[in-house]
Amino acid sequence: MPVIEVEHVTKDYVEKGQVTARALRGVDLTIESGEFMAIAGPSGSGKTTLLNLIGALDTATSGTIRVEGREIGGLSQAELSDLRRDRIGFVFQAYNLIPVLTAAENAEYVMELKGLAAADRQRRIAGLFDRMGIKELMETRPLKMSGGQQQRVAVARAIVSEPAIVLADEPTANLDQATGRSLVGLMRELNRERGITFVFSTHDPMVLDQADRVVRLVDGQVNSDERKAGSTI
Amino acid sequence: MRTVLKIAWRSIWRNRRRTLISMSAVGLGLLLVIVYSGIMAGVFGEAKEQLDNIGMGHVEITAAGWRARHLAEQNIPSPAALVARLDLPPRSDVGWRVVTRALLSSARASEGVELEGVDWAREAALSAHVRDVRSGRRPNTDDRGGILIGDTLAERLQVRVGSKVRVMAQRADGEIGAELYRVRGIFHSLSPTIAGHRVLVGASSAQTLVGVGEVAHQVVIQLDRAADADRVASRLRAELGPRYQVLSYGDLLPMLRNIERFSDAVVWIAAIFVYGLVGLGILNTMLMSVMERTREFGVLRAIGTRPGRVVTQVLGESFWIATLAGAAGLLAGLAVTWYGSEHALLTIGGGEALEYAGTVLRSGVKTRVSLGAAFEAAILVYVMALVTALYPARKVARMPPARALRST
Repeated sequence: MPVIEVEHVTKDYVEKGQVTARALRGVDLTIESGEFMAIAGPSGSGKTTLLNLIGALDTATSGTIRVEGREIGGLSQAELSDLRRDRIGFVFQAYNLIPVLTAAENAEYVMELKGLAAADRQRRIAGLFDRMGIKELMETRPLKMSGGQQQRVAVARAIVSEPAIVLADEPTANLDQATGRSLVGLMRELNRERGITFVFSTHDPMVLDQADRVVRLVDGQVNSDERKAGSTI
Repeated sequence: MRTVLKIAWRSIWRNRRRTLISMSAVGLGLLLVIVYSGIMAGVFGEAKEQLDNIGMGHVEITAAGWRARHLAEQNIPSPAALVARLDLPPRSDVGWRVVTRALLSSARASEGVELEGVDWAREAALSAHVRDVRSGRRPNTDDRGGILIGDTLAERLQVRVGSKVRVMAQRADGEIGAELYRVRGIFHSLSPTIAGHRVLVGASSAQTLVGVGEVAHQVVIQLDRAADADRVASRLRAELGPRYQVLSYGDLLPMLRNIERFSDAVVWIAAIFVYGLVGLGILNTMLMSVMERTREFGVLRAIGTRPGRVVTQVLGESFWIATLAGAAGLLAGLAVTWYGSEHALLTIGGGEALEYAGTVLRSGVKTRVSLGAAFEAAILVYVMALVTALYPARKVARMPPARALRST
């Protein structure tokens, strides 16, 4: 079942009425539920723009995007916020944890937005942090963590409320290779255990190697779409 | 809401120096407004004290035409009955006086004076000089031969407590009335006019002197709130009809009323400037704080925070700044104003007092503490803080998350 459908999507960046960049030029893409896939391409190819559009962080200039069958083009800002809160998790290149909150509070914030009870929130955080090997970081603030630790907490924040999709924008770009490999391995396990769809924007060969499917963008267009042999989806 | 306030609280301390500078500006602004309004209230504010110094009422009732000619027969019959039927605001003081011009003679000299026949207990509530007897005492209610005179007059007539004086005044029947009195007390007044020209005797004694029955020439009312004077005067005027003239202190001393209005306007204009500066200070702090964290707000939006909650988040930071700075400014403002109400903060002119606009002020200016005005100022600071923070809050909340995330 497709979790994301992108049809003829274009995205222009406009400043003072002038188109300054044409980031996407008629992209078509379907992502099935439970996929572990990557969008690759050189800098400026439109990877992050496509991820932002899929994640309802930005609006397409033309074309249609559906998340779990629901077209997002006509949704209000509040509805888009609710969609992101309930169905989409994000992992960013620069971790982007809220610096004034501890690791546990960062993860708890999303669940609080969803209105989960405090006891349920605490139970989920304890279980997930334990599973991800970061239990000892629960009361630590981001600035006192390493990059790898921060990114693990960011992954925990992204999946703790059990979204259907996790969008990860260059998640390993700021990590050393070993830490990056360990992190992607963790996400792979979560993908298999929980059936969460992972979509990476990356040009890290290690991530591309781990992905079941690689979509390559060049100049805002899909240049290739390869599934690895043995991929179950 | 708890999480919003928690994040806001922690966020304001991320740049401790900037927050403290911003809080200082807000707190100082509030302190200035409270102290300045306390000074202005002390100098001009409520007219109660100034009127008290000259024994004048916020509202005065006389027979129609009495003020023009001061004739003994232009009087208010049965003043006690009249006062009993007046519907006055709570905590009002009211009394009546028999008033006549007279010649006061001692063994050494004579002086023209203004004689008031009063009910001593009521008059003490209306006139500061009746309470400020520096030598001797106030005559008793049944003391028909006792007189109270000002210290300057006593000096000129060379009389002391116990001295005998003679008073002559024109009677209602056209004859000259005369009575002998013994000086029971010598009062002090901030007003040189009162200290040098006023004497007081019991009401019934004055009625005998001028040959009238149970009448008075003035009914004097002091209200708890000077601001009620015009309204009360207008109501009494309608109730009492054309036989009486009812005037407020603003009618009697229009200059005083104008100065009061002017001082109120000055306080407001100064407050607007201060609040404007406070608002700009908060706006600057919040704009800087929000703009340098645009990416962070983008993250909040990305993980599902609605724009309204982002606005609340920013307002929460402004709320904490205003709360801490407001509390400090309020306490400091009240402390300085309280100190100023005990010890004069500044002096106008020389000597003990200053006559202006028909009234008398102490030259040492003491502030007047008003909890209501201070809290009003603090609430305005709150409103200002929240209103000015709305702009950066809405700006960042409306930004598309992707654009916010791109900012550095």
